[in-house]
Amino acid sequence: MYFAAVFLPLLGAAIAGTLTFFRTKDHERQKKIDRAAYLVTCGAMLLAAVAAGFAFFAIVVNDVTDPVEIFTWIDSGTLELSWELRADTLSAVMVFMVTVVSSMIHVYSIGYMSHDSSVPRFFTYLSLFSYFMLMLVTSNNLVQMFFGWEGVGVMSYLLIGFWFDRPSANAAAIKAFVVNRVGDFGFALGIFATFMLFDTINFDTIFGLAAEKADARFDVFSGNFHAMTVICLLLFVGAMGKSAQIGLHTWLPDAMEGPTPVSALIHAATMVTAGVFMVARLSPLFEYSDVALAVVTIVGGTTAIFAATIGCVQNDIKRVIAYSTCSQLGYMFFALGVSAYSAGIFHLVTHAFFKALLFLGAGSVIHAMSDEQDMRRMGGLYKLIPVTYGMMWIGSLALIGIWPFSGFWSKDIVLEAAFGAHTGFGNYAFWLGITAAFLTAFYSVRLIMMTFHGTPRADEVVMAHVHESPKVMLIPLLVLALGAIFLGWLSFEYFVGHNTVEFWGNAIFVLDSHKALENAHHVPIWVKYLPLVIGIAGMSTGFVLYKLAPGIPGALANQFKGVHAFLMNKWYFDELYDKVFVKPSFVLGRGLWKSGDGAIIDGVGPDGVAAATQNIARRISGLQSGYLYHYAFAMLLGVVALLTWYLFARS
Amino acid sequence: MPVAAFPDLIPAIPEIYLAVSAMILLMLGVYSTGKQTVRTVSYLSTAALFFAIPLTVMVTDGRMVTFGGLFVTDSFAVYAKILVLVSAGAAIVMAQDYLERQDIARFEFPVLVVLASLGMLMMISANDLMSLYLGLELQSLALYVIASFQRDSIRSAEAGLKYFVLGALASGILLYGMSLIYGFAGTTNFDSLAEVFKAVNGTEPHLGVIVGIVFIIAGLAFKVSAVPFHMWTPDVYEGAPTPVTALFAVAPKIAAMALFARVLVGPFGDLAGEWQQIIIFISIASMALGAFAAINQNNIKRLMAYSSIGHMGYALIGLAAAGSAVSAEVRAAGIQGLLIYLAIYMFMNIGTFACILLMRRQGRMLEGIDDLAGLSKSNPVMAMVLAVFMFSMAGIPPLAGFFGKFYIFAAAIEADLFALAIIGVLASVVAAFYYLRIIKVMYFDSSEEEFDRPVSRDMKSILVITGVVVILFFIYPDPVLNGAELATSALFPQ
Amino acid sequence: MDGLLREYLPILIFLAIATGLALVIVTTSYIVARQKPDAEKVSPYECGFPPFNDARRQFDVRFYLVAILFIIFDLEVAFLFPWAISLGGIGMLGFWSMMIFLGILTIGFIYEWKKGALEWE
Repeated sequence: MYFAAVFLPLLGAAIAGTLTFFRTKDHERQKKIDRAAYLVTCGAMLLAAVAAGFAFFAIVVNDVTDPVEIFTWIDSGTLELSWELRADTLSAVMVFMVTVVSSMIHVYSIGYMSHDSSVPRFFTYLSLFSYFMLMLVTSNNLVQMFFGWEGVGVMSYLLIGFWFDRPSANAAAIKAFVVNRVGDFGFALGIFATFMLFDTINFDTIFGLAAEKADARFDVFSGNFHAMTVICLLLFVGAMGKSAQIGLHTWLPDAMEGPTPVSALIHAATMVTAGVFMVARLSPLFEYSDVALAVVTIVGGTTAIFAATIGCVQNDIKRVIAYSTCSQLGYMFFALGVSAYSAGIFHLVTHAFFKALLFLGAGSVIHAMSDEQDMRRMGGLYKLIPVTYGMMWIGSLALIGIWPFSGFWSKDIVLEAAFGAHTGFGNYAFWLGITAAFLTAFYSVRLIMMTFHGTPRADEVVMAHVHESPKVMLIPLLVLALGAIFLGWLSFEYFVGHNTVEFWGNAIFVLDSHKALENAHHVPIWVKYLPLVIGIAGMSTGFVLYKLAPGIPGALANQFKGVHAFLMNKWYFDELYDKVFVKPSFVLGRGLWKSGDGAIIDGVGPDGVAAATQNIARRISGLQSGYLYHYAFAMLLGVVALLTWYLFARS
Repeated sequence: MPVAAFPDLIPAIPEIYLAVSAMILLMLGVYSTGKQTVRTVSYLSTAALFFAIPLTVMVTDGRMVTFGGLFVTDSFAVYAKILVLVSAGAAIVMAQDYLERQDIARFEFPVLVVLASLGMLMMISANDLMSLYLGLELQSLALYVIASFQRDSIRSAEAGLKYFVLGALASGILLYGMSLIYGFAGTTNFDSLAEVFKAVNGTEPHLGVIVGIVFIIAGLAFKVSAVPFHMWTPDVYEGAPTPVTALFAVAPKIAAMALFARVLVGPFGDLAGEWQQIIIFISIASMALGAFAAINQNNIKRLMAYSSIGHMGYALIGLAAAGSAVSAEVRAAGIQGLLIYLAIYMFMNIGTFACILLMRRQGRMLEGIDDLAGLSKSNPVMAMVLAVFMFSMAGIPPLAGFFGKFYIFAAAIEADLFALAIIGVLASVVAAFYYLRIIKVMYFDSSEEEFDRPVSRDMKSILVITGVVVILFFIYPDPVLNGAELATSALFPQ
Repeated sequence: MDGLLREYLPILIFLAIATGLALVIVTTSYIVARQKPDAEKVSPYECGFPPFNDARRQFDVRFYLVAILFIIFDLEVAFLFPWAISLGGIGMLGFWSMMIFLGILTIGFIYEWKKGALEWE
């Protein structure tokens, strides 16, 4: 079952990938091929989801936790590793979540991509992505995880640049790839460091040895560092890249260039949460480094508020949700940072559902608006597309954290855990989280108001076209909406409540001294209600500003021009990076290319040698004068030279 | 006064047979007056040469020495003789058509080739400095004449004259060296010389001996056109009629190389330390010059001249390895590599020259590399065959040329001649340029005109046979490898 | 040393006699003959060519051909003399060797004859 859940998507991708070779100009035949491609991949994905359900049951309920070994991969010196599927609650939860969300998005894509010209390619990528993601979450060693990690990176690149005829899509794809490279480099270094310290990269061994090595130190560059901190920080750099935390977040908003189902699957529900998953998976290591945990908390808290502020002023519907994703990932991280790993994962899972729902809803809007994404040209849609409208409300309420939607349960426990940590960093994260929650509520309502209410701002041709999406797109929305509504309430006790210990088994490790999650259940009453109150306050503000008094936002923007510009320009991160990294890199690259490669390597190497060869050739050819006496002279000279050299060499 | 015993003629039967054939063919040619005379003599000469092959194989039974020690035949001689006879026969076949077109078809040509082959066989079987010289001169004199066979062409005459004058100079040097050796060793017989030098082994040989060896090497290096005694090669190759060039590029080179090996390994085997350095030097010089000088050539025959200089450089690596002090096996590996190389070289060159002989537009022979432009379109089969030969010469696996170089370099490395092997590889990189350039011209340049057709059946079969050998050598190399091994064992008696 | 020189004594005597004889002849002709020189008479004689002229003058290649053919048979004779003298000591091998040599030479001779190399016109 477990095996099937992971490898069915690969099978689907292989078949659909083969179909891409049968591209034809014949419209009818192409339709048939497209149909075959999406039926195969969706079928495989749905089957995988079912298999994942059974596997989840087997692992979590029946405690079948023997890893599924596929075959030995590397056996070189002390480095031994196999392709294995790890079976524990964490993996099972992730596998289940990924397969369900992915299969919904597969189905949704049938409708969304129906007018596209390369459907088989899209479904191939999508299924292949799912496979890599499943490999990532089921890996039993760091290298296999890295395989999945890089695999999802590549598929993300390919899917962001899916419409490769758009320059902006290509630029976004490259940006995503390059920024992730920074993170991946950290991850790779982290793996090396782990191997250096533990002499293995298999999880079970590492986790077994972690306590023993808790105080080990590295000597690097004449400095002496706490080994576990170094490892965890390096690995966290990888997590930051993948999960778009502040500093390495710049690629995520641009990634919205990809088709909307891709944004929903990769850039909201699954891939971007890989960093969160990784930190949770490696909790036995992070637990032994207070510094690393503090860094995780600070980065998470900062990202949460930072992304939320930007989200408030964006006008592109997908970008708003993208920044929201970024912000919510910040929540997950600071939950991890205060050792409330299960709370982080809980939020991850609920978020996957409601954020996918939001994205797909946005996709439905965009679909209805003939590919319009700017909210300033929307408005007044709620009557025209009521189902989508309802779905967007469900998603938004879950995101804001209104009882009894899923987000309420998970966001609450995250914030309470931050408070319950009773540390400076915890408080920092808590207060930023509360502020961000206000902003979240605000921009969510802003999005809905701008999109669905008010007077239509689109031209008549577009408005005449507005139509509800087909069933194939709406049904996945409904399924995800169910998750967004009930999942938090249903699973609260298992993930973070009373049954948490049996539920997680030994998948997550927390030191006894780290009591944030336990304390979360005993926080003061105002802490428990504050998020809800703040959420309602944020919603009200949004309602007032964008429904009742639509003039105020413009006036505010004019009044605080500097702040508005700062937020509009996303805290000037792109400009800063452009100046600090991109431009100098271009200068350096161009310099190395022109003078390094062109002048020195080519000049001395290929070109120089070739020129020298030709020169020699010309001279030697010149020796052939054609005169007999020259030839005879050369022969005699040869004899003499041989003899002379000989006599000298002898003595 | 002792009466000399009647010598055993059996080991020399192939040579006697060829000599008699040549004389009969001469008489046949001069007495018959029919139109078909030339063709008849030509076919008979080819037949005579090819028939000499089984004869050679049959009469040889181990090592046989006759004529008072002047003449020897063994498996080494058989191997080299087969190569010489095959290439000489092929040259006559290839020449027929060409000579008729150029209006210089005379029956003397095949007879002269037979006589030259006779000289080469005698060189290969020489067991004495005197018989060595006799064979060499018989070969050379015949070749001088056919170099200028196109009498009314100034270039052909010039080629013959240059070859003759420089050849005479080389013979002089060779003779001088021989006389020095005789003066200091007191004998000209190879076996006796070997004994003499074995006796002085370990001590420094007399300076006169060294000078003698240097002179003999110089004389022989001229025949294999090794640098710096190569100067005649490009001019003669370019000037001589093309089938003659084809003959020059193969048969005399093989004979002279075999002789070279026999002389240096046999009588001077114990002085290997003295001559190895010289061989290394001329080997490097030949490889380098062959690689560089050919780059600027536009005439394909001239290019082939430099190519053959380069190839002789590679072959000499084998000889240098044969002078190694490491072990007898290594020395044998060197000679074996040399013999394999010669066999492969023969097939590649005959095939290439067959292609060159087909470069003809409206009855006019062409020699420019540019004239090959567009060949891939106008005659794809020929372009492919020529490309195969060029790739093989450049040493691209899995073609035969690669294996030739492989065995040579392997022998050099076993003999600790790393520098030589590395220079050899580098030179073959440079040389690859001009081989590949021919392919580039054939496949990527365009031309309106086609080469003349049809291609005669003889040429076709030569192209097919050589092409198949070059392409499929890697599947069934045993005949060449075993033959070379057997031949080598004759030079290194256990 | 003495012995070595004594071996060369006949050569010394030979040189002395040759020099003396040459002197005597030149002197005698100078004294006895009538001296009446003219331009033709005092110029050196060289095989029918003008003595002072450009060496690269064309001359009939047939001279060359005849000279080559002459040399071949000249050498043949040079071989025949020692062979004839030692024939008694070298037996049948010696005899047949020369016969074969002559045979080969004859073949060449037939060839040149048939080719017309011996005809001046």
